[in-house]
Amino acid sequence: MKKKTLTLLISLVLTSLLLMACGGEDTSSDADTPSSDETNEEVITLRMMGYNPESSRAQYLAYLDEQLPNIKVEFEFVALDNFNNVLNSQLQAGEGPDIIEVGGEAKLLARANYLLDLTEYDFMSKYAASGTAPYSVDGSVYAAPLQSWFEGFFYNKAIFDEYGVEVPRSLDQLIAVSKELEAQGMTPQAMGAQSWEPMMKQSIGIVNNEFYSNEDNMAFNDQFNEGEAKLSEAWLPYVEEWYRLIEEGILKEEMLGLSYDQALDDFATGKAAMWQSGPWAIETIYEKNSDIELGMFPIPGVEEGPGWLIGGPGSALAINANSKHVDEALAVLELTATEEAQHKLVADNAGSSFLTGVEVDLGEVYADSEEAFKLGNVYAPWTASWFSGNPIVESYGKSLQEVLSGTKTVEEALQDADETNQTLIDTLN
Amino acid sequence: MYGKKRERVFLLMILPAFVGFFILFIVPTLMSFFYSLTNWSVYNADLDFVGLANYKQLFSDTKTMASISNTVKYAVLITIFQNIVAILLAVFLNKKMKGANFTKSLVFLPAVLSILVTGFLFQYIMSSSDFGLFNRIIQFFGGQPINWLGDADLALYSVLITQVWQWSGWSMVIYIANLKSIDSALYEAADIDGAGSVRKFFTVTLPLLYPAVSFNILMSLIGGMKVFDVIFAMTKGGPGYATETIMTTMIREGFNSGRNAYASALAVVFFIVVFILSRIVIIFLNRWERKIS
Repeated sequence: MKKKTLTLLISLVLTSLLLMACGGEDTSSDADTPSSDETNEEVITLRMMGYNPESSRAQYLAYLDEQLPNIKVEFEFVALDNFNNVLNSQLQAGEGPDIIEVGGEAKLLARANYLLDLTEYDFMSKYAASGTAPYSVDGSVYAAPLQSWFEGFFYNKAIFDEYGVEVPRSLDQLIAVSKELEAQGMTPQAMGAQSWEPMMKQSIGIVNNEFYSNEDNMAFNDQFNEGEAKLSEAWLPYVEEWYRLIEEGILKEEMLGLSYDQALDDFATGKAAMWQSGPWAIETIYEKNSDIELGMFPIPGVEEGPGWLIGGPGSALAINANSKHVDEALAVLELTATEEAQHKLVADNAGSSFLTGVEVDLGEVYADSEEAFKLGNVYAPWTASWFSGNPIVESYGKSLQEVLSGTKTVEEALQDADETNQTLIDTLN
Repeated sequence: MYGKKRERVFLLMILPAFVGFFILFIVPTLMSFFYSLTNWSVYNADLDFVGLANYKQLFSDTKTMASISNTVKYAVLITIFQNIVAILLAVFLNKKMKGANFTKSLVFLPAVLSILVTGFLFQYIMSSSDFGLFNRIIQFFGGQPINWLGDADLALYSVLITQVWQWSGWSMVIYIANLKSIDSALYEAADIDGAGSVRKFFTVTLPLLYPAVSFNILMSLIGGMKVFDVIFAMTKGGPGYATETIMTTMIREGFNSGRNAYASALAVVFFIVVFILSRIVIIFLNRWERKIS
């Protein structure tokens, strides 16, 4: 009898422990972060979640620590592959970080009321409109832009000199330079096409040159967001121009078996003359080969010209509407909107600042892209202007892999992207 | 009477585990069924009932259907190859010979590695660039390099090869344990009857391996159906949609695109596919059991 009672008791205790473990989520998070009303003197811990690694924000975060002694910013890095997954689950549970690094999904998050409206705060007026536009919904701004991101063609200057080729300023020249390098036994371009991103960005670079360079065509994006305009009609002639790189054998099916890291290795070790990427890769390139002479030129268009880079306001900081520390989060954003903080951000990761009056010298590596920067030829429609940018370009990029495999046409790839856009319009309100 | 009381106590003892199972598995599963009939998304402020709309979309989406077909193809092939290789290895290494134990450990070793580590390693070994080990070997013998992971017709099989390599040793250990329990008198009797080694394998070994076969087949089938990590490490579902599986599609649609309800519908379909496949396998295994007993 005693044994039975004991068994029963143990069972009950275990059950109650289990239930406590399941329902105990509210008690832990607040224990070490008292509310701001009670303890102004104490240090408030803010959670900042970002998809760019902490190392690419090191000086900026140190600056925040130094300037805001009462606020401790705990930075959580979640790789972009999983970022939306982790963030969305937390937001759905009514939790999530206090400060969120947002990109393409900012408008969707704002429309679902997860982000704090920042329009009325003075510091937001210091940013150029081109920087806040991607984070605006119905005239309200929901995030403060960080430095811009951009992507173009890195090239190995020593290889270009050795093989006697010049930086290309048109698509024809790019094809000619690639053929010349190949004829002399040098791989012209490394591409980690196992990822759907490089071809997607490269082809949109041509679209930037030929389509978005005309201001009137910017209205296309609004119609596209409503499902009234189609990529397979508006973009087709320009993506077909890009397709010449496949026809001419410069982009090869073998590239589908190469990852981003493997392509970086090929370029950094001098096995390929060009590789498309952005400033975030520089540190790794120099780690692999400290002697490399790097340059970057923009993606050229059909006509000879300064070219366009893929990029824009890379990401921005938004405040979780359900944060318990809104005032402190606002203090962080206010400090971010100062010249010093912007210089720290740019020092961490090269780019230009959207804060009015902040001049940035990007350095020798980007000298060939200077003209494009001055003309403002930096654009990425899916982050800057589309509602559901990321899934659409993912679908487009994956279909371009099929184009390179020879199983799809460029038109079909664009139709796939249109279809994804339509599905998302139908599904997400 | 005493038995019933005892049973009650035992039932109480499994209660904590059952409560955990109920809250963490049964409830979320039922919720998936419910959400698959709604427009649930992190980006939708209101939750509306949409009937079977998600299922209609799912069955008309060629990409999702391709991922279901890839998954079934992968699961069936890995079940067949992993078990054939494992049985052959087990029978061969179960003989008393020099180095058998060492070889057993060697064959089992890949199962100790994390799937992600194996995936990333093979991504380099199968790379199409000139440091890919496989292509170097092929080129050394004068062959043409193969685009292991970049060829849409080949990529799924390249992934499959790595997984057969990694898990055959694990299945082999289970088969060996089963082989040890087979009475040697049966083989002696077969010898007296004049049976050769092939005949002995099909009439004595294989029928008596039934318990290990049924366990291994079910395990590799279910493991194959939920394949995700190796695909994530090696191909990211590409090129195009050539190696997308139900799990990678579910993650992409549910989390990256924010179509949570659609992903729930896919989860329900996944549940049904796994259920049907498992039932078919169990029916066949039961028939086999009846035949040999």
